[in-house]
Amino acid sequence: MHIPENYLSPLTCGIMTAAMVPVWTHAVKKIQVELPKDKLPLIGVGAAFSFLAMMFNVPLVGGTTGHAVGGTLIALLFGPNAACIAVSVALLLQAVIFGDGGILAFGANCFNMAFVLPYFGYFVYTQIVKRFGGDKKDGVRYAAAAIGSYLGLSLAALCTAIEFGIQPMLFKDSLGNALYCPYDLSISIPAMMIPHLVVAGFVEAAFTVAVFAFVKKTSPDLIFENIEAGTGMKGKSHVPVFALVAALIAATPLGLLATGTAWGEWGADEIAEVVTGGKALGYTPSGLANGWALEPIMPDYALEGMNEVVAYILSAIIGAALLVIIFKLLSMALKGKKVSYDS
Amino acid sequence: MIPEWMKNEDTYVPPGGGGTFAVRTIRAIGGAVGRLQFQQGHEKKYALPALVKLFILVAAILALSLSHHRLVMLAYTAVLLLYLCTWPPRDIGHILAGALAAAGLTLILVLPAMFLKPEGVSGNLNLVWKVFLSVVMVSIFNHTTQWNHITGALRRLHVPGIFIFTLDITLKYVVLLGRFIRDVLTAYIHRAVGRNDKKYQSVGGVMGLTFLRGTEMSREMYEAMRCRGFTDDYKGL
Repeated sequence: MHIPENYLSPLTCGIMTAAMVPVWTHAVKKIQVELPKDKLPLIGVGAAFSFLAMMFNVPLVGGTTGHAVGGTLIALLFGPNAACIAVSVALLLQAVIFGDGGILAFGANCFNMAFVLPYFGYFVYTQIVKRFGGDKKDGVRYAAAAIGSYLGLSLAALCTAIEFGIQPMLFKDSLGNALYCPYDLSISIPAMMIPHLVVAGFVEAAFTVAVFAFVKKTSPDLIFENIEAGTGMKGKSHVPVFALVAALIAATPLGLLATGTAWGEWGADEIAEVVTGGKALGYTPSGLANGWALEPIMPDYALEGMNEVVAYILSAIIGAALLVIIFKLLSMALKGKKVSYDS
Repeated sequence: MIPEWMKNEDTYVPPGGGGTFAVRTIRAIGGAVGRLQFQQGHEKKYALPALVKLFILVAAILALSLSHHRLVMLAYTAVLLLYLCTWPPRDIGHILAGALAAAGLTLILVLPAMFLKPEGVSGNLNLVWKVFLSVVMVSIFNHTTQWNHITGALRRLHVPGIFIFTLDITLKYVVLLGRFIRDVLTAYIHRAVGRNDKKYQSVGGVMGLTFLRGTEMSREMYEAMRCRGFTDDYKGL
């Protein structure tokens, strides 16, 4: 679901980034109010979960691949505002260091995966829990988490498809060839939605429920509802949660089993041969061929002449550790700024 | 009988800025002395002996400098970041700030080479990366090891006694003289009223006093060492 560089026009990227600015401001302000200070560094753990979830590529129908995002999961653990910031930072790392998702398209990627997904997923979750009295029954909560994450991912995929689909309508050269993404809504929506509704949504739901149940059992003080209500705050050890992160890191090479490129994530050299509806595209959109691109440090989580599996695991470790460090430093900056002796 | 001038209410307000430079200097010195005296960092009780740590550090830096494969650097990065992310935020900040500054300086140094020979850019970037990793490793060692344990480890490695002696004495006297400067400046603040137009004279006075006190202290220490049987050679140290 990561939109690569030059698939969206710079104008679209600018609008999406501008739309994200108030969201980020709101989220940062809310986090300082609703989360206790000692929980702030732990958002990094949530971001690490999301980063790792995005490294597990699963083969989808039609020869492409997809992955879970884990946005709803972080929203369940630390609240939707924290999830927005956590996924944004994870996406930034992926864009700058690992070349997954474009830097210009960062705003659009954040809009889909850091704004639409966690807020909508969490909204669905709270509505279901409220309707069906999940206060007492854990089963309802798990079902709500599954439905919320499934719908959240689907809506995010729909947003991505619409962003792709409006490009050929708005930006064409004199020959009628698209400048950026060449597929209009009639192709992009089914191409994005069918795989996500059939496979990736269920992967996301399974991932969310599995981790949510694990954390609920082992560290109930890390669940957002408990933080809000002030219950279950016994300050249990978080070792099992870190152990889970370690296990996920060790398992990331499974993501390499899925070959093929995700729909809408082809490189400029691949797109001319992509076959849609029985015929290849036949040309490379000029915006893609001549577009701006920054050479990432580790494109596709690997370095030249290196064992793919080892590089993948090392990337996972570096990404997860960096996220924890970034959020520890951020929490220190926030703590230094706002010291309130009133409460 | 109270004289007339004592009955008048005094409205004199001294112009500000009399002792601000002294206050600022005291703050800076206090910070530096504090860092040296109560060495920041956290040496754990179950830490490895300083000698082993020093040996691992030197070996790790050597191996890193000799390797040309990016996989090695990547592995170093992964291990170091993984270790750092378990630390308290303040300590991570200290270490990363120092390492990033060193890497930035290296980048500036190799920048001309990168412009003149664009085909060597990746090698130059490797150099910057290696500097960053090495500084992180040294900082981690420094941060987790007490100063006296470091000198002890150096002694075990047969570093000449005179070096260790100089290092140790320098550190001790930086603390002692720092405290002395702090006292002099405190005395100055208590006496300073109003604007001081001759700040540089005051600074000169403080430095001169410190120098005199320093030579006096070194003479006293030499005499004390003579009294304890010091024969002007450092072999037995």
